[in-house]
Amino acid sequence: MKHATIEKNAALMSILVLIMVAIGGLVEIVPLFFIESTIETVQGIRPYTPLELKGRDLYIREGCYNCHSQMIRPFRDEVERYGHYSLAAESKYDHPFQWGSKRTGPDLARVGGKYSSLWHQEHMRRPRNVVPESVMPDYPWLEENALDYDDIADRMTAMSRIGVPYSEEMIKNAIADLKAQATPDSDTDGLNTRYGNKVPLDDFDGQPKRITELDAMVAYLQMLGTLVDFSSYQAQAR
Amino acid sequence: MADNKKETVKETVETTGHQWDDDEGYPLKEYNNPLPRWWLYTFYATIVWSVIYWILYPAWPLVNDYTRGVLGWSQYSQLEEELAEAREMQKVWDDKLATLSLEQISNDNTLLQYAISGGKAVFGDNCAPCHGSGGVGSHAKGFPALVDDDWLFGGTLADIEESVQNGRTGTMPAHEEKYDGALNAQQVDVLTDYVLSLSGLGHDAQKAVAGKELFEGEAACVVCHGDSGKGSLKDVAFGDPIDRSVGAPDLTDAIWLYGGDRTTIRTSIAKGRTGKMPAWGEGFSGFGRKLDPLSIKEVTLYVHSLGGGR
Ligand code: HEC
Ligand code: HEC
Ligand code: HEC
Repeated sequence: MKHATIEKNAALMSILVLIMVAIGGLVEIVPLFFIESTIETVQGIRPYTPLELKGRDLYIREGCYNCHSQMIRPFRDEVERYGHYSLAAESKYDHPFQWGSKRTGPDLARVGGKYSSLWHQEHMRRPRNVVPESVMPDYPWLEENALDYDDIADRMTAMSRIGVPYSEEMIKNAIADLKAQATPDSDTDGLNTRYGNKVPLDDFDGQPKRITELDAMVAYLQMLGTLVDFSSYQAQAR
Repeated sequence: MADNKKETVKETVETTGHQWDDDEGYPLKEYNNPLPRWWLYTFYATIVWSVIYWILYPAWPLVNDYTRGVLGWSQYSQLEEELAEAREMQKVWDDKLATLSLEQISNDNTLLQYAISGGKAVFGDNCAPCHGSGGVGSHAKGFPALVDDDWLFGGTLADIEESVQNGRTGTMPAHEEKYDGALNAQQVDVLTDYVLSLSGLGHDAQKAVAGKELFEGEAACVVCHGDSGKGSLKDVAFGDPIDRSVGAPDLTDAIWLYGGDRTTIRTSIAKGRTGKMPAWGEGFSGFGRKLDPLSIKEVTLYVHSLGGGR
């Protein structure tokens, strides 16, 4: 093909540019799907419970990712502040993932269990109640709004279509599991058989008789980064 | 002059053969100028460099692995090295901290200062969000200040270490019928007046007398808060010491965990309260952050140094 032909034909040139750029991208990205050490094999990773999945959706709705990343990089300063660096396996059921480097607030990859639910309630209502220097906005409506969970089964089905291993049983029991997790002293046997024992159980919003958006948000925050037991984790050769 | 220049360039430089805009008799031509030498050699040098880089460092994807480079470098091995280096640098100090008891450390001023500065960093990352920067407390209810002399579970080194290792739970039961308690609304009201009277706040004296009776009798508040309401650490219940781990606050001082106004006190009695201090060491439950033994020692000594320690 003659150079002049390409130069004089905008559409043709655009297509050829696109192909060139795509080759660069594919060479970088495609091998990651096949290199075995990309996603570590670790124990303990499970899909989000229905309540946590709702919380994650709210996290995205409220735009928390604009100020918070969920990715501890393997640098000394980060590891000493936040804990073990994040593994790819820890976000393998995240669609979309919450990595990033934009940190107006701290990284949240291992915030689970660091504070009590009471602290989170105060903090979400008005961050300056607990951290006077905070610039994080108030989210008072989370504790007011009843959680709308009618669509939870559909959301889980959608996730299972893109590879999250939600079983039929999990989807069928979604609403019961969601309620059990947020209601103290309820029967959580079913929830624990389906999702394991590392499921935070609490009255996350401090209102025992209601299930609010705050329940979902705090349940999600309380499990972040808690699934892998790092005392038994051996860093693999990569 | 412009013309002159055009002439000279024309003679020395080849064109690429492209030619536009011929109408006016001044065709626009594309010269094929050679690249400046320095640029060209820099370009070749970068190619050589990239080959060296491919050999030394991880670079090319293979079918289900990648070339790892002869240096064996990875960001994870670099992290391990940096952490090991930091440990090595602090080893002399850390070894001492690890073997000596908290008391021994606090008797050695240089070592103590080292531990406190380490503890300050640990506190800032993990404890300050609840206890305030420097342990001054927060605006939120239920998170105690650590700088004062008013302790729930005790301010000795051993007490503080226990608080950090295993966490603490202070449970104030709900008392009003409405919240599954055993008292009616009026009984809760008079108890509120009695509690107000204990620290000299505005109250109805007659009701407070009735409240005192309940406090010591039917409602059994004394079991936890003590015969004179001075809390589980300082007071006794029916003459016997109270378990230190109850953590019932002194109701006679003006320091409040949740608040000293009538409504807040009433809510504390009626609905109950649960204060939770997470466990960071032995009692760690699998949720949250586990601190290493050294950090726990350091942060204990730091909290002890804040002014309220004994
Ligand atoms: C404008 C930026 C901003 C936004 C948006 C924001 N945050 Fe924050 N966040 C901060 C800052 C700054 C801090 C540190 C001070 C503090 O603790 O409040 C913080 C702290 C936190 C912490 C405590 C982290 C720790 O380890 O101490 C949590 C949890 C948190 N944010 C959750 C959220 C959630 C959930 C949302 C969305 C509903 C959100 N944030 C939105 C800025 C933000
Ligand atoms: C989630 C919030 C939270 C965090 C984080 C937290 N604490 Fe606490 N801490 C509390 C609460 C709440 C209490 C009071 C418990 C109660 O009410 O019974 C407490 C009590 C204590 C006590 C006992 C105080 C007394 O009067 O006897 C000490 C000591 C203490 N914390 C130290 C620490 C240290 C050191 C850290 C960091 C490693 C820390 N705390 C992190 C919430 C927290
Ligand atoms: C089982 C032990 C127990 C009994 C019985 C008990 N309390 Fe408490 N009380 C506590 C504890 C522990 C706390 C602190 C709660 C916390 O740490 O969050 C507390 C907190 C309080 C507070 C809040 C103090 C503050 O600083 O804000 C008041 C007021 C109070 N109790 C009054 C009473 C009265 C009145 C009774 C009797 C009706 C009573 N308590 C019975 C253990 C008890």
